[in-house]
Amino acid sequence: MIEDNTSTASPARPIWEVVVWVLVGLIVGFAFGGLLGGLLGGLYGQFFLTTAETGAGFINGVKQGFLYVGAAGALLGGGCCATLRFNPQTLRKLKRFYGIKRGYWSLILLAGAFSISLLGQFFVNNRALVVVHEGQTYFPALPFAASHTGLDFGILTDAEGQEYSYEVNYRELKAQFQSTGKGTVVMPLVPYSPEETRRIGDGTQHPSPPNFEARHFLGTDPIGQDIFARLFYGFRITLIFALMFTLVVYLIGVVIGCLMGYYGSWVDLLGQRAVEVWQNIPFLYMVIIAVAAISDLPFKLPAWFKILVLLIIMVLFSWTSMTYYMRTSILREKSRDYVAAAQMLGASTPRIIFNHLLPNTISTIVTFMPFTVATAIISITALDYLGFGLPSGTPSWGRMLQQGVANLHAPWIVLSAFTAMVMVLTLVTFIGEAVREAFDPKKFTTYE
Amino acid sequence: MKTKLTGFLLTAALIWAGGCNQKQLKKPASTGDDKPAAAAAMSEDHVRQMAQVFAQEFAAELKRQNVTVANGGTGQTVPVVPTPPVGRAVTLNSAPDVMEFYEANPDGFTVAQPGDLPSGLEWVTGAELEEFASPEAKRGGTFMEYTSDYPRTLRFVGPDANGAFRSYMLDYNAVYLVMPHPNGDGYYPGLAKEWAYGPDGRTVFFRIDPDARYSDGKPLKVTDFFFGLYMMRSKHIQAPWYNDYFSDEKFENVTIYDEQTLSIRFYKAKPDVIEKIAGLRPVPEHFYGELDEQYVEDFQFKFEPTLGAYEVKTDNVKSGESVTLTRVPGWWADKKRFFRNRFNPDAIKVTVVREPAKVFELFLKGDLDWHGLALPEYWYEKLPDDHELVKNGHVEKIQFHNDVPRPTWAVRLNSNHPVLSNQDIRVGMNYALNFSAVIEKCFRNDYERMRTVADGYGPRSHPNLKARAFSVEKAKEQFAKAGYTELGPDGILRTPAGKRLSFVFTTPYKRLDEAGVMTVLKEEAKKAGVELQVEVMERTAAWKKISEKKHEMMLGALNTSVEMYPRFWEPYHSDNAYKEDKADRYDANGKLKLGLTPKPVTNSFTLMADHEIDGLIERYRESEDLKEITQLSHTLIQKIHDHGAYVPGWVRPWYRVGQWRWVKYPKDYNVRESREPFEFHIHWIDSDEKARTLKAMEDGKASGAASIRVFDKYKLD
Repeated sequence: MIEDNTSTASPARPIWEVVVWVLVGLIVGFAFGGLLGGLLGGLYGQFFLTTAETGAGFINGVKQGFLYVGAAGALLGGGCCATLRFNPQTLRKLKRFYGIKRGYWSLILLAGAFSISLLGQFFVNNRALVVVHEGQTYFPALPFAASHTGLDFGILTDAEGQEYSYEVNYRELKAQFQSTGKGTVVMPLVPYSPEETRRIGDGTQHPSPPNFEARHFLGTDPIGQDIFARLFYGFRITLIFALMFTLVVYLIGVVIGCLMGYYGSWVDLLGQRAVEVWQNIPFLYMVIIAVAAISDLPFKLPAWFKILVLLIIMVLFSWTSMTYYMRTSILREKSRDYVAAAQMLGASTPRIIFNHLLPNTISTIVTFMPFTVATAIISITALDYLGFGLPSGTPSWGRMLQQGVANLHAPWIVLSAFTAMVMVLTLVTFIGEAVREAFDPKKFTTYE
Repeated sequence: MKTKLTGFLLTAALIWAGGCNQKQLKKPASTGDDKPAAAAAMSEDHVRQMAQVFAQEFAAELKRQNVTVANGGTGQTVPVVPTPPVGRAVTLNSAPDVMEFYEANPDGFTVAQPGDLPSGLEWVTGAELEEFASPEAKRGGTFMEYTSDYPRTLRFVGPDANGAFRSYMLDYNAVYLVMPHPNGDGYYPGLAKEWAYGPDGRTVFFRIDPDARYSDGKPLKVTDFFFGLYMMRSKHIQAPWYNDYFSDEKFENVTIYDEQTLSIRFYKAKPDVIEKIAGLRPVPEHFYGELDEQYVEDFQFKFEPTLGAYEVKTDNVKSGESVTLTRVPGWWADKKRFFRNRFNPDAIKVTVVREPAKVFELFLKGDLDWHGLALPEYWYEKLPDDHELVKNGHVEKIQFHNDVPRPTWAVRLNSNHPVLSNQDIRVGMNYALNFSAVIEKCFRNDYERMRTVADGYGPRSHPNLKARAFSVEKAKEQFAKAGYTELGPDGILRTPAGKRLSFVFTTPYKRLDEAGVMTVLKEEAKKAGVELQVEVMERTAAWKKISEKKHEMMLGALNTSVEMYPRFWEPYHSDNAYKEDKADRYDANGKLKLGLTPKPVTNSFTLMADHEIDGLIERYRESEDLKEITQLSHTLIQKIHDHGAYVPGWVRPWYRVGQWRWVKYPKDYNVRESREPFEFHIHWIDSDEKARTLKAMEDGKASGAASIRVFDKYKLD
């Protein structure tokens, strides 16, 4: 096999190749930039920021470091990758993937849905997209937009007679403007936020069936939360979680697996024993202990931070299985002639591993990837179901399933969650099948 | 009697929020045998002082009501002609270890002669009380019940013995010397045929019923009370709480006069001393002989012969699946006045079903005879009035208003927290927590708002004080006083320096979170500019955090017992809030010092420490005058209201059940003090009706008119 991923730019470069590389660069750059930034930002915030609250510096540091360094990483990654080219082998594999229509369209669908969900607050939100009032225009749905109270719009008391000095309910505002003509409100398609409870009809709350007029497209749950909104944001969290999980698990698993396979002998022996020991630590107990431990910290943790901790714990206990596959692939590959040739030419060990061996084991990695994503989705749902998953209040599929099972008389809850789950897992599986098919080394290489 | 016994301590209650399963209301008892929180919180000294207060107050109360008191006792006043001694003298003939135990404590165990019985005792029998079972009751059938956990032991004491299954074997089954009448005052005879108060007001004489017999056919012996104490004080039962409760400091002396007569002396003349004394359960000496360190293991699945109506036979224990209790053939109390027409089913089959959803499905199939409908989702949606089974009269829906003190569902603010130590913030939080929205949204207005820290204590409760109603305006006013004047872009109040008004809001009750309680409180609090970070923790971890006083604010409940007075010392005196000596807690101006160490494992979840409240509580405990006590109680309730660390939540003044048509009940459904529908065993199974109903179901016909009934005889205004 001949390696050729140096960027000797050729004029006949198709645009999609650039797009794919940029996307890959963006994602990888953001993930690693974010992790690094989070870490450094946390340290900086902890020791150098002075804040009114304990721990706020740390949390802010992590948040800002994650966002800013992540963004920088994404730009850098995107930029660097824009000039990269696939080697002809990979190109053929990708073309083949494109040829498998079921997998291809599944990818497009899932990626499309995910992109939409990233911009979710413009589609599903209880804050208005645009409010025009007394010559002023507000965009409350924008991220970091300030909240406007009822008093700001000249409403003194809410429906229950309380002082309206809190964020206005934009649906009510819309109704009011429609009757008084004092302004305009444009609401998103689904005008509910996932954590908002509602009163329906006679003032009692109950799961209500799908109602298009009220724009409860999938109905509401027992406390009047909109199911579509919860599904939608649950999808976003689940998928981000699963993708980050997969990325990090692969990074650790691949590196350690490669090292064990390449060096062999005592590195392999010790490494494997260490992995075995590690694997025998019961995962669920660790989750329980960690959940108990972080709630004991002397300062407040925002929900996203708890999600991050959960992610880290899951990663810590999931990277091990990947090492086995990588180790075997590398063991098999390293005895081949091209490795010997590279060694003869004086290539360094990292170069041999990452430039020569890794591309030849890519099929192992790529094949497992979609299934890892699926596993992550299922795990987070299951953990939620057991009550050790995402923090209370976070829209999650696991909790919806649980709610649905507990309220079988309101079948739209369990049906929505179940259908969504099945659809996503099916798409992921289709993608996985297509990738395996496309990257199957037997299509291209014959071993004597 | 266990109700009173466990309730004797304010135990951290492991209760669901009026769970779907009525049975679980009882579970507070399963916090563990040694009840660490309560045990630590209730010092010996305190018990003594409380006892004194109670005794004196009770006497005053009775006097006020013009009731003649028999020797400092309770209201039983029907004198019976003094009876001469019966039976022969008793000589002890126990195993060496047991004899040694008795001999080591000659003051505690006395064997007297029949002639030693004091003269002039006024024997009473409780004959004036009314029966509470229905004469229409029919014997027979099997009552189908479930439990969510297979019982881990059949022992009555020791490790794991405090599980939910204990109520079947012991709490709702055992017969004690005398038992409190569940419809009001007075005691009815159980093992004792008659009883008399000694002149000291803390000794009670009992004549045991010569008919009393264990389920293995052996008669009850008067020496079994000695043995009961031997067992309860034994280290081998591994139950420190029982060791302590039945110690010789409390049960000072038991004297046997003859084969049927004994007296028991308690350490204080409490108004309800007979109830405390009757809590001493006779233990069949012939069954155990003596105890050794093997007790816990040897008797793990051996059922102790009982004096109650139901026994567990080894054949009826299906490991991991079910336990069936069967009626003792020819039960000795079968025809006795307060036991006839009770304990009607021939058997009670308790099946293990772990999944709540499955429990309900089994109920709908008729495999379980009843199901709790306390949760709105069960009452309104899962078993609505127009449900096939209800419409066709197969299943009855019943709501019963009982009259017992309720668990205190409330938010407790940690006043040791740097922000919550500010009274303005605490009062603001009272306005910011919208419990009426919770009651409306999550409980469909079925529940009521709790009014004060001590509701349900009759004249001792505050006559007109009410919890602060939700108000955005008032809350913000209070917060502004404390410096939270600016509204951030996130809608949360903050100080000019940027400190946000945000609290971690802990609860051990996942079920409440699932019912939306936490979500609604959080959403509503945001209107008042407060951020609540909801933290729903696994139960043990949460209680640990709370009892270590690491929480900021918590939603939970403590169980309460039937009492004449609220307890203030345990939850609200600074003794239980901080470790430091009392003198070191306050400065010269009576202001709380900073940097005190919270005292773990007490029931002071608010960490209330206020010089004035401390003083009032101390006076309250020492006071002997009913008027003063009532007044102090009102003042204290008001002061605690002003302090603001206790935000009253809700109360549920009833229980609701769905039960199959064949489960019959007396005309008032149940007794006033019932906490669960079947704890007094006054229901019965109509087997013919069952056959008819099942046939009608099969044929798709109705078996009668729909029956949705509300029993509000005991409803308070």
